[in-house]
Amino acid sequence: MRFDTVIIGGGLAGLVAGISLQQAGRSTAIVSTGQNALHFFSGSFESMKEAPERLTALFAGAGIRVHYNPGVRLTPLGTFREAELSLEDISLFPEAKFADKALIACVPGYLDFFSAFLAEGLEKQGIQCRLCSLDLPEELQEGSVELRSVQLARLVDRDWKKIVQQIRLLIKDEDAVVLPQLCGLEDTSVPERLRQEIPARVVFAGTMPPSIPGIRTQRLLKRRYEVLGGTYLTGDEALDAQVEGNKIRSVRTHNLDAHALEASHFILASGGFFSKGLRSNPFRVWEPVFGVDVDFDEDRNAWYNEEFAGDQPYMKYGVKTDAALHLLVGGQPRENLYAIGSVLGATRPELGSGAGLAIRSAFLAVDEILKTV
Amino acid sequence: MDPREFDVIILGGGVVGAGTMRDCAMRGLRALLIERADIATGASGRNHGLLHSGARYAVNDPESAAECIVENQILRRIAAHCIEPTDGLFISLPEDDLSYQNTFVEACRKAGIGAEIIDPQLARQLEPSVNPDLIGAVRVPDASVDPFRLCASNMLDAKLRGAQVRLRTAVTGFIREGDTIRGVHTRNVQTGREVDYYAPVVVNACGVWGQEIAQMAGVQVGMYPSKGALLIFAHRVNNMVINRCRKPSNADILVPGDTVCIIGTTSTRIPLENCHKVSVTPDEVTLLVTEGAKLSPALSETRILRAFAGVRPLVSDDNDPTGRNISRGIVCLDHETRDGLKGFVTITGGKLTTYRQMAEQATDVVCRKLGVDKACETATTPLIGSAGRSYEEVAREIWEAPSTAQKAATARLGSVVSEMPKRSRQDEELVCECEEVPVWEVNNAFERMGVSSLTDLRRRTRVGMGTCQGEFCACRAAGLLAKAQDCAERERADLLKFMGERWKGNYPIGWGESLREAEYTQWVYKHVLGL
Repeated sequence: MRFDTVIIGGGLAGLVAGISLQQAGRSTAIVSTGQNALHFFSGSFESMKEAPERLTALFAGAGIRVHYNPGVRLTPLGTFREAELSLEDISLFPEAKFADKALIACVPGYLDFFSAFLAEGLEKQGIQCRLCSLDLPEELQEGSVELRSVQLARLVDRDWKKIVQQIRLLIKDEDAVVLPQLCGLEDTSVPERLRQEIPARVVFAGTMPPSIPGIRTQRLLKRRYEVLGGTYLTGDEALDAQVEGNKIRSVRTHNLDAHALEASHFILASGGFFSKGLRSNPFRVWEPVFGVDVDFDEDRNAWYNEEFAGDQPYMKYGVKTDAALHLLVGGQPRENLYAIGSVLGATRPELGSGAGLAIRSAFLAVDEILKTV
Repeated sequence: MDPREFDVIILGGGVVGAGTMRDCAMRGLRALLIERADIATGASGRNHGLLHSGARYAVNDPESAAECIVENQILRRIAAHCIEPTDGLFISLPEDDLSYQNTFVEACRKAGIGAEIIDPQLARQLEPSVNPDLIGAVRVPDASVDPFRLCASNMLDAKLRGAQVRLRTAVTGFIREGDTIRGVHTRNVQTGREVDYYAPVVVNACGVWGQEIAQMAGVQVGMYPSKGALLIFAHRVNNMVINRCRKPSNADILVPGDTVCIIGTTSTRIPLENCHKVSVTPDEVTLLVTEGAKLSPALSETRILRAFAGVRPLVSDDNDPTGRNISRGIVCLDHETRDGLKGFVTITGGKLTTYRQMAEQATDVVCRKLGVDKACETATTPLIGSAGRSYEEVAREIWEAPSTAQKAATARLGSVVSEMPKRSRQDEELVCECEEVPVWEVNNAFERMGVSSLTDLRRRTRVGMGTCQGEFCACRAAGLLAKAQDCAERERADLLKFMGERWKGNYPIGWGESLREAEYTQWVYKHVLGL
């Protein structure tokens, strides 16, 4: 199988690169193990201090609406963090006191929404809080089932009108309603409908992962990529690469076995330690597919900050690249191999971190590839 | 009567203190236990979880070997829900001297320990994870014990018999009249509240910290603090305890416990002032993994969950630099006969396995001083939770077809579960998926077991002890605790402290899967949850 570009990793970076290349008429394939950082996406694009037209257009094409309102967002534990570019259902406030009185709606038995912390955090900003419970759909009232975000989101998307009815009955003089971010998974119009129908400002507060807005973003981007003709290989894993001179010729994957993926360009978008883009043992950190140069401390004692809350040195480790994001082996660039997203760690601080790093590096690598004929 | 007056005050909330409190309560004494931190925070909660048969000490320390086997048999009866009767193997590897086996078995026989030489092939069948190169094996009645559960059960049992507990309360000094101790000055470390408590006898059961407490009372007890490092593996690779059949050395015991197994230990003398903050070094991790793989080669491929260390409260009696040759025997000091100080008793030395015997000896001295003539009954009266039935039976009485989570909770709490109020569907929600801890068990710990932080909760329920190391459950439990205590602000700080405490045991083994988990936890807590 031959493509113009093969992308290892189907998270935010890989999908943004894949969609951009497909739009430019290149044929691409994405090899995805199935899990990526979008599954714990907060909904705000970390380190994106601007809203590039190129990105908003790409997202709009995928049916993802974003908004740019530099300010703060509410975290699941009731604190506020600076945020600029965010998914539309993430509320951004110019200041933390976004209301006078808030009604916080919890789902009984659902432990992944932290109403007590939210109330305390909002009260600290001078927002008077009242907690209320939503009735569970009948099928959840009996039997032993675990209440987790995905399962609840499916029911909310189906029964959102009942939620509106309940809130309308519960609300008194509150000017804001805080709801757990458990909607818009199957029916992406639900967050907006809830906002229109509830007679107060609706603020969605995040839950424990998996993140509903994150999964939705992943699904919509993947769908867009496939509509554009991209080949998304889910549940497959890149194993190793065949090298010719300074170029990668093909990549072998677990499922395709003998049918190696050949391409003119390769993009490594395989993520950090969690996504297995980087691996480690007591002695070293390495990149498992191409065996490229990795920036890390030889002395393992230097990998960690003993304080949990401190910056962790190991999280800065990443693959080494040249200015055009070509990966290096023994200090020599591989001409047709690029790295994007978290696999870079903090080796390219000018590109930001998290979602910002994923997007900026994806566009940079795509532009390099599009320079070629 | 003044609520600050008691018959006996016990200092130290480890298993010996808790056991002494229960014994005193059973003999009709009004007992108060004072603990600076929480239950089982010292050596009681920082060990293998091994119920010794005594075989390990049979050759070098026959006195403690004999104590161990007697208590081993008693605890199987009175603390059944804390113990898993796994049995143990003492294996000889090609580099070991096989002739030691005979010395070993003979010493076990003298101490009253059933030790049976078995064919290495049979050993491999009994314990498939054992090193297949073994050249000899001896089967002994070792077992696995949950020290947190044991300590909590003793405390709960004593409280139900009228004893009182003050956790997070530090002793700041003794109330002394001439040559007699009359009570203690205390300060609550959380609220700063200072209270004096009075009793004609004070028992020092502070483990390695007993030296400081004794000094405060004006007498000398020389402790020999010996640090032991251990590793917890994320899977239970073995079903029997595996030991090396040789003179006790480093990293030669592998104990299964619940869903994990623990390899240890090392033995290093440390200064007394460092006992509060023991940590595990990379060299110790390497030693434990290398030696552990000799007992069970699968360990070299198994994910390590965390590293931790405890300090043995050995009593100093010579200049042995390793502490390996100091007796693990019980030391019960009546300071009236030893030092002329009335009303003060120290109980120390010993082992987790012999805690009940230690408690009995200390309580005997207390009773003699108080003129109470009542025999000890702890050797025959089961602890709360261990009343006769197996946990499977208890679970079936409550749930027609108990789930694994319901069985797990019943295994932790024992027969006491059948006396609890009926549970709703919401109460059955899991807080901790790794250890299968439901909401009702967490609430029970809040209501009956003196929990004021997530770490307290972990010691009583295993929340956060599993493979995710608190990544998911800590937050959920914190949400419940914030509601129960109606103080989200304090709980927020507690959550951060708990995650910090988990990380201290994770980073020494931070590579491979553990580092993956750690990175995920960092992202979730800092970027998503906004802690």
